Amino acid sequence: MKRIALLLLVAACGGTYQAPPPVASIALPDGSQLKPYDPAQPGQARPQGLAQAAGRVYVTLTNQRDGNPNPVNAGPGFLAAFVPSTGAITLIDLGGSDGKQCQNPGSVRTSADGYLYANCSGNFSGTDGSRAIVEVDPLANAVRRRAAIPNGRVPNGVAVTATRIWTGNAFTTTVFSIDRTTLAADPTPPVPVDCPKTVFNYVADVMTIGGDVYALCGSDISGELYRLDPDTGAVKAHVTVGPNPTELAGLDDGRIVVVNAGDNTLTVVNPTASGLDARTALTFVSGTSALQDVRAFGRTVFTVASGSNTAQRIDLAAQGGAKVVAEANFGENAGPWNILPLDDTQAIVSNRGTNTIAAANWVTVK
Amino acid sequence: MPPSRAFPRYLLPFAMAAAAAARAQEPGETIEVQGERRQGSPRAPAAAATVVDMAQFGGEVRSVAEMLSTAPGVSIHALGGPGQTATLSLRGASGDQSLVLLDGIPLQGPGGGAVDLSTLPATILDRMVVSRGVLGAQFGAGALGGVLELLPRSARGSWTGGAEASVGSFGTERLALDAAMPAGNGSALIALQGDRTSGNFEYARQLTPEIAGSPYYGFTRENGDATRGSGLLRISQELSGDLGLDLLLQGSAGVRGLPGASSAPTPRSREFDADGVAGVRLRGSSGDATWSVRASGRLDRSELRGVLAFGDCEDGTPDCPRQDQRSSSARAEGELALPAGEANSLRFLLSGGGEWVHGTTGAHRRGLLSAAVRDDLALGAGFSLHPALRLDKVGTQTGLSPGITAQWKPAPEHPLSLRAGWGLSYRAPTFTELYLERGGIAANPDLRPERAWSVDAGAEWRLALLTLSATAFWSSYRELILYQLFPPARVKPFNVGKARIAGVELQAVVPLPAHLLATVSYSLLDAVNRADGHKLAYRPPHRLFVRLARRGDRLEGYGEASFTSAIPRNAFDTAFVDSQLLLNAGIGVRAAGPLWVDVEAKNLLDKRTYEDLFQYPLPGLSIALIARARL
Repeated sequence: MKRIALLLLVAACGGTYQAPPPVASIALPDGSQLKPYDPAQPGQARPQGLAQAAGRVYVTLTNQRDGNPNPVNAGPGFLAAFVPSTGAITLIDLGGSDGKQCQNPGSVRTSADGYLYANCSGNFSGTDGSRAIVEVDPLANAVRRRAAIPNGRVPNGVAVTATRIWTGNAFTTTVFSIDRTTLAADPTPPVPVDCPKTVFNYVADVMTIGGDVYALCGSDISGELYRLDPDTGAVKAHVTVGPNPTELAGLDDGRIVVVNAGDNTLTVVNPTASGLDARTALTFVSGTSALQDVRAFGRTVFTVASGSNTAQRIDLAAQGGAKVVAEANFGENAGPWNILPLDDTQAIVSNRGTNTIAAANWVTVK
Repeated sequence: MPPSRAFPRYLLPFAMAAAAAARAQEPGETIEVQGERRQGSPRAPAAAATVVDMAQFGGEVRSVAEMLSTAPGVSIHALGGPGQTATLSLRGASGDQSLVLLDGIPLQGPGGGAVDLSTLPATILDRMVVSRGVLGAQFGAGALGGVLELLPRSARGSWTGGAEASVGSFGTERLALDAAMPAGNGSALIALQGDRTSGNFEYARQLTPEIAGSPYYGFTRENGDATRGSGLLRISQELSGDLGLDLLLQGSAGVRGLPGASSAPTPRSREFDADGVAGVRLRGSSGDATWSVRASGRLDRSELRGVLAFGDCEDGTPDCPRQDQRSSSARAEGELALPAGEANSLRFLLSGGGEWVHGTTGAHRRGLLSAAVRDDLALGAGFSLHPALRLDKVGTQTGLSPGITAQWKPAPEHPLSLRAGWGLSYRAPTFTELYLERGGIAANPDLRPERAWSVDAGAEWRLALLTLSATAFWSSYRELILYQLFPPARVKPFNVGKARIAGVELQAVVPLPAHLLATVSYSLLDAVNRADGHKLAYRPPHRLFVRLARRGDRLEGYGEASFTSAIPRNAFDTAFVDSQLLLNAGIGVRAAGPLWVDVEAKNLLDKRTYEDLFQYPLPGLSIALIARARL
């Protein structure tokens, strides 16, 4: 809220908001700081989702250690709160009294009334008790409440409305809601948001944009963006985007951008009176791989690609069409997962590979 | 300290002296003339084939993969740099869809699939025969793209021997020795090869590829070292009358770093491997009939250390287990060739055995049973027909592979021949695909066999050393086993693919004045996913290879160019590996007696920005000095 108010103030004055410069790199906690279940086998931060609230940035720490075949949840999930310009970190334990009420947190989003909501995916079995949606008070640095997830569902993504929390299912192409008052899953059946597949499909993310809830279905061969009623989940419209979409973001003019890892493209979706209109705005170069996230600041779009360890700043209104105007590289094995614009030029990323928060050091088009 | 690109300075005087000696002897030079170029595989008469003769690469440091890539219809899937994994793709098929045979014995990787060509020693081989097409009827299930036959050096009845030593850039060294000798009522051959490389070459890449003109930064490849030792023993004995016995033992062991992709290096990952092949064959004849019975076996072991699904780890720590994979196979087979009239020859084959795997995949086994018949019919007027039928039972999966090839020559000595072929076959899932749970790879025990058929036709003009050939093919694949992303973070094989692969293969071998021989091969590949019309990833649409070589009694040399067009890297026609042009050249002289000294340079343009299909960097300019002698 503070940021929005600041932005409105800056806009009213006809200026451009510029955030304090972030520190180049922030090392995230590890070892005993992450309260490992077995001190001999501590996890690593493995940061993912980023959100802003109460003048700080919050990042989810999955707290996993390398395992074979899959990473192992080595301790409770955390939120790490920090101010990008100083780098000082405050840890918020999401695991509850037994440390197992939230494991493997992925996305974190801020509600209009200033709370943070994170989805905890557990061990992806769909039956463990570590799956949850947690509600965090950023002013108190503490978990307020926790919503349990019905068996058979693995929450993926969070979209917060005035009355509900929507989340997708990593196992099926459905979304379901949680009542914000009771923090209990609604008894209504999950809402199907399907997309054609050959092998797999799932809900890549959900997000509240312009008062509606948007859900992104991703598959190995396709992608579909759904616009849902924020209260009932009724499908208002849907449109095909690129294959294997991973994330979406809203622009301040109402448009929506989607990154598609399958074909290395950026789709711009225009909500219209009759539905949704999608077009491919940009095909990334072949050297950019594994698009993971997209965010927007005003009408400037930021993307991140974990395979090439890069982030891009994109001008959608460039002459000749959308264009990457700046790019940053975070180093070998950085694995940047999510990106958070601080203003229309500065951004930070969560590096899942190197367990850091890093500022984008842009190389720009001359 | 950065790696040295130049070949060792202490060897320069030897090279210069050798060159001077060669110049002095130029006037009296005699030129070695190659004999009749060898035909394709006797197991697949009239199939599209290319023979790669190792002798033509004398004085060059070549891996099996590098030599194969000179043939049309071949592409190599390599993980960058000397000593690293390289698998074969024939006519756009995957490494799993092509058979590799060593003296007729099927080779497989530790998981039962693609053979790593980098583990095969080049100097113990005499030649390689690449037969292309769906050839399950002739070679057995699995030959969907074709077959690579590795034919090792043969024992001879007199004492002969050779030695080769080379040193070059990136700490790359090779020593090879072989000796053939009379033994009892026959002969014996032993050959040894040792290779090592530091593999620490320099490469360059853009860190911000979206920004046009952004700078390239230099890096040094780490953990790209490889060391390997290989050996071959062949003994041939004439027992009595028409009875003979052949023994073959081949083994290889190596250790190498697994350096990883350029954006995600894995400096702690290592691989140890060892494999061995043994075969004994009794052969004989009775009247016009010839027969053979053979027992063979194969052992493979591979151990990965410090390897994780997405990155590396510290070997020996609790979350970094070693991944041990072992496989073996044994089989017995009998073959009978029976003339049936003057224009008809029948061949029968019966084989049975089993294959086993244990380790990371768990312990599994399956039986192997095959029965095949082939008829070689001379129809008159220059026509010959070769129908074949083979039944293969691999575990519980049984399939029939029919095939037929035909050839027409206007006259036996006429240079023109026309040929055509058709084949239908299948490939049983490998143990890896069925059972391997490792890192980010998931198993799928419910997989079904892949199936394919193909048709091809071609013409050849062969007159002494001159060969011109052209072949067009069309193949169809269904139930293709493809690894697909399997959420949350794994890949898993599924029978989801159907594809159409068509292409053209051209080759010209042209003798030129001044004892030069020009070789040109071109491959056109149009590989399409029939589910969505997109191109299949990792198949090069165009490959062109040009080589000009001179072989002489005192002076030899070559220059060659290899061009590969941009290759699709994803399934949606939106990401590509850049096109690549590689220039190589070498020159050598007979320094004294049988001693030859050669200098070779690869990647003369010193392109350090090339990457392979999986974004592993490739080395820039490398120089090698080779000394060899044959008695």
